[in-house]
Formats: sequence, structure tokens, C-alpha cells
Amino acid sequence: MLFRLAWATLSRHRSRTLLAVLGVAVSAAMLLDMVMLSSGMRVSFKNLLLARGFQIRLAPKGTLPFDTDATIVRSSEITAALASIPDIATISPVLGGQIHVAARNGAVVSAIALGGDAAAQGDYEIIEGRAPTGANEIAASDDFLRAAVARVGDTLSAAAGYDPQLRSFAGSRPLIVVGRAKFIYTSAGQRAVALPLTTLQSMQGSAAADRVSFYMLRIRDDGRVDDVLHRIEREIPRVSGVSTQTAMAQVDERLSYFRQLALILGAVSLAVGFLLVTTLVTVSVNERLGEIVVLRAIGVARGRIVQQIVLEGTAIMFVGAIVGLVLGLGTARYLNSILSSFPGLPAAIDFFLFQPSDAWTALGMLVGAGILAGIYPSWRGASRPIAITLREEAVG
Amino acid sequence: MIAALLSAAVLLQQIDTLRPSTLPRSIAIDERLAADRRIKLGDLLVVSPTPGGPGDTVTVSAFVRRRADPSEVARAEYRVRLHLHQLQSLIGYGDRVDRFAIATPSAAATDSAMRGINAPAFGFRAYRSRDIAVETSRTFLVVSRFHRAIGVITIVASAIFLLCIMLLKVDERRRDVAALRLMGISARSIVRSVMVEAALVAVIGSGVGVFIGWSAARIINWHYRGVYRTPLAFASVTPNIIVLAVSLSLVLGLIAGFVAAQRLVRVPALELLTGRHEDRAAAA
Repeated sequence: MLFRLAWATLSRHRSRTLLAVLGVAVSAAMLLDMVMLSSGMRVSFKNLLLARGFQIRLAPKGTLPFDTDATIVRSSEITAALASIPDIATISPVLGGQIHVAARNGAVVSAIALGGDAAAQGDYEIIEGRAPTGANEIAASDDFLRAAVARVGDTLSAAAGYDPQLRSFAGSRPLIVVGRAKFIYTSAGQRAVALPLTTLQSMQGSAAADRVSFYMLRIRDDGRVDDVLHRIEREIPRVSGVSTQTAMAQVDERLSYFRQLALILGAVSLAVGFLLVTTLVTVSVNERLGEIVVLRAIGVARGRIVQQIVLEGTAIMFVGAIVGLVLGLGTARYLNSILSSFPGLPAAIDFFLFQPSDAWTALGMLVGAGILAGIYPSWRGASRPIAITLREEAVG
Repeated sequence: MIAALLSAAVLLQQIDTLRPSTLPRSIAIDERLAADRRIKLGDLLVVSPTPGGPGDTVTVSAFVRRRADPSEVARAEYRVRLHLHQLQSLIGYGDRVDRFAIATPSAAATDSAMRGINAPAFGFRAYRSRDIAVETSRTFLVVSRFHRAIGVITIVASAIFLLCIMLLKVDERRRDVAALRLMGISARSIVRSVMVEAALVAVIGSGVGVFIGWSAARIINWHYRGVYRTPLAFASVTPNIIVLAVSLSLVLGLIAGFVAAQRLVRVPALELLTGRHEDRAAAA
């Protein structure tokens, strides 16, 4: 009965109801997008960091991995010190740099180069061929292979730098492409190659001898990460350790703008939806004062009337929210495609990451707002003095 | 690389209270570093390329403030400025630099200088400052596109909200409209009066909105300038934005008023007065 009465009232003013549902739908879409934005980056970044199971990164003191060109000197000493810590399961040293390759079409193709240990690396996944283990082997990204007009099995002439005075490449050597790889931390379209650490060190010359850019460490027991981190910082003072949690906190700090924007716009969306339904229910109650007091006069309980009016507001919010959630997924894809074009952002990062909990959160907030929006006007309408209101309605 | 090392690898080790035998070179440090570590002009510091390694004693001769550069806003690290030769020798960089900045007297001279440099260049290249600025501001183009997309969604939501409110407002006055119609006032006059009312509501609402926006911009600037320790303006309400917002609101208000009024004047006056049109709609 309650539902039939609510439906009858809503369908009496179809265009008004339709507009209210549309308004709530747009608010719900925005709310869902903002809930997704507020949590999406964190979850996406955490997934990226833990993609290969490394919980700790070690960078030169005071820096973050690849945040500067600073490198860790005498890395073999550090590798030995890390190997003596029994909690560490895998040590993956990484040296960053650039290589330049003369393509078949005559162009010089440059790419970022990651020197590491193929058996312990956490930067790429091989999708064809194998990982580079020999001294003159590389694995390359599709973007690099396309630009260099090369494929697995080809031999490339690569250099690690230029010597402008001699007008020649520095650190040249032939490299055989042994694998096609997907690089986890590179941005869309970025050319990248992986090669053994010692190969890149020797290509970069004496300046890079026994140096690495950072380490990635896999810890046997997740619960021991902080202890290992403290031990490393105590025993190896020339490096800064970053756990996944610390990295998340730093990302939070750098991207706090988006979280705060999400909070503000989410709150505004909820407020707009709430205001819209409150206005609609208030006007609806004012228009039906006569009807309401007649119901009261024939013995319908005040609570029952309040329930019916609250149900109307909740129904608008619920239907609007369902439409809005679908709309929100579409707009989130569009907004994500805009933000994904940030220069240098890893392609695997999503700003708007859908999780079922986001949809439930948005739906719950909107339905809650719908209930709250209906309570005051319905209570006010149902509490009017019956005789006086009937007389006012009759006289006009 | 020098820029990166300036910012990170040259680490502050300790405040040296002993006067060195030779006159130390000067250094300019980030004012945030000075504030955080209570460093004063004239203090002696030891800078070294590696933590705990050998370094040079320098005297703090100036504090530098970060430029209001959006591309640096999220970077929290400190920066110090050293003499070129001093840094080259400190980090063993040899006779190398990362880049040169070249001033030219005119646009034509810039073109000719670029041709002159790039023709024989190997391993380096000359770029116009303008092109570099375009490249480094790509991040903000993305943010700007994102803001525009959010703005479009907000406008759609506002338009629906405004239309809904106007519809309710006009609907509420159906008896007045019916009485006016019965008195012989033309439908066109009624539509016009409703549209004028809608325009007034839109303009007053825009005025309030501009005030809220202006206040919000002040709060946002105050908050983010503190968070990022920068003089940058993060939000600004410009005359163009005000004109756009008020015009948009006015147009939306007029459209909403017109649509709402048209719905009422199409219904016969007597039905409007008795509310029979609603019953018919409900029955349908």
C-alpha cells in the first residue's frame, strides 16, 4: 500500500519526478567518480608497488628511486651487507640510464635502460623470448622495437652516451635482442630496454663502476618489513629505505590535491542531491497538505504518513543513484583517460579504479541522504493541526 | 644531472663552528631549509656528494626562494645553489654542464643561433625557451582538461537542478497564473513575467555563487600555499570566469523559466485553477 501511494504521488508529476531523478543521477555519477578518485590512486599505486612482491626500495640517502640522477656508490659492499640479513629473500639492484641505438632506417632511437639481475628483477615481464642474462643481451619494450625497426633475435649497435668532442657514441657495443618485455613502471609509449647490470655499468664507463640507482628487496615475512628497514638504515646509513607504506604516504602527499578535490566535489554532489530531493519533497508536501490532514483525520497514523513521504524521497534517490552509478562508470573512464596522459605516469596507474565497495558507499550515502531529505518536511506536514489546516485548504 | 644533484645529492651534514684556514666559498640555500634547520646567513656548512663522505666547508651567503613554478609545486626537496666550478669539483663532474641558457637580442637572432648550434651539434640540441615551457607545462594542460571535464559535469547538474527548481516554483503558482489568465492577461505576458523572475533568481544566485567562489578561492590558496610552501595561486576568480558563470546561469535560468511557463500556459485556465490537469496526468 505504501509503495502504491508513493508511486501514485510520484507519477502524478512525471516531468518533475523525471527531472529530480536526472538531477540525482548526475549527482550520483559525480559522487561515485569522486569516491573512486579518492581511493583509486592509492589502491592502484599499491598494486603497482607490490606487483612483483618487493616490499622495500633503497635509494641514495635523501632521495626516492629515480627521483634524481644520484646513484649509490660501492654497491657491491651494500649488496654483501644486505645478503647478510636473513629476512631478505631477494635483492634486486637496478641501475638506470639511457641507451641510443642506430635504427635500420638511419634514425637514432633513444630509450631508458634498466640494468639489473634477470633472475631477481622486478621491473618487467617477458612476453616473448627470454630475459637478458648474457653480457651482450637485452630485452626491449614493444615501443622501442617498433621505433628501432627490430625484433627478437636481431643484433643492435647500442651506445650509452655521446661524446660531442669526438662526435661519436660513447660506450658502444653490439647487443642481441633476446626478449620482448612489458615494463611495469614506464609510462604509455615510453621506450625501455633491460640488460644485465654489469653490461650497463661497463657501457656507462668508469663513472658508473660499481654503482646502482636503487635496490628492490623482497622480505620473507611481511610482518618483518619495518624491522628490516630499521636494521638497514642503522647499518647502511648512506641509503634511504622506502617501504610500500612510506611510498604510499609520499604519493598521498604529492597527490593530496586530487584526494581533497574528490572530497570537496563528492560532498558538493551529495549536498546537491540532498537539496534537490528536500526541495521536491517540501513542495510536494505543501501541495498535498489537504490530502495529508484528511488521511490524519480518518485515523491514519502520523508515522505511516511520514513513512510514505520518506519513501517517495528515498525512491527518487535510489532510482537516481542506480542511473547515476552507470553514468558514473562512463564518466570515470573518460576522466581517467584524461588523467592517464600525465607525463611520466606509469601506464598501470588508474586514477579512477572501480571497486564494488565504492559503488556501495555511493549508493548508501545517497539513499541515506534521500531518507534524511524526506524526514523533516514529512514530519512537519504530518504534524499540522488537522482542523485548522482543513479549514485553510477549504477556504484557500 | 647537476640540477638533480643540487637538489638531492649534495647533503647538508652539520653546522661547522670552526673557522677554516682559507676563506670558504659561498652558497645560497633554500629558505625552507634555513627555516627548518635554523640556519642563518654567515653560518658555515659542510657539503659533500655522499652522506658522511669528505666535503667542502662553505658559508651561507644567501637564501633563495622557489619560483612560483607549477611544475615544482609537488617537489618537497631542498635546493642549494653552488658556484659551477665548485659543484663540478665536488661531485667529480669534470668540465661538463647539463645545459646552457643563451640570451639573444631578437627573434631573428634566436633563429639564426639555433641554426648555428643545431647544424653541427652531436649529442646536444638547442631549444627555444617557449618550446621547453610548452613541454614542461604538459602536466598542467592535463589538469586543465580534467577541470574542464568536471566543469561540464557540474554545469549539466546545475542546469537540471535549476530547471527542476523553476518547474517547482512555477508549478507552485499555478493558481495565480490561472487567475491572471482568467483576468485576460495574455499567455505571452505570463511567460515573460516568469522568465523575468527566473532571470532574477539566476542573477541573484550567480551573485551569491561568485561570492562563495571568491571566498573558496581565498581559502584554497591559503591552504595549499601552506601545504606546498609556495607563493603560487591555486585558484583565482577572474572577471572572465565571473562573466561566463553569470551568463551561463542567466541563459540556463531563462531556458528553465521558459520551459516551465510554457507547460503552465498550455493548460486551460479553469483546469489549472481546479487542479484537474494533475488528476488527468495521474490517471494517464
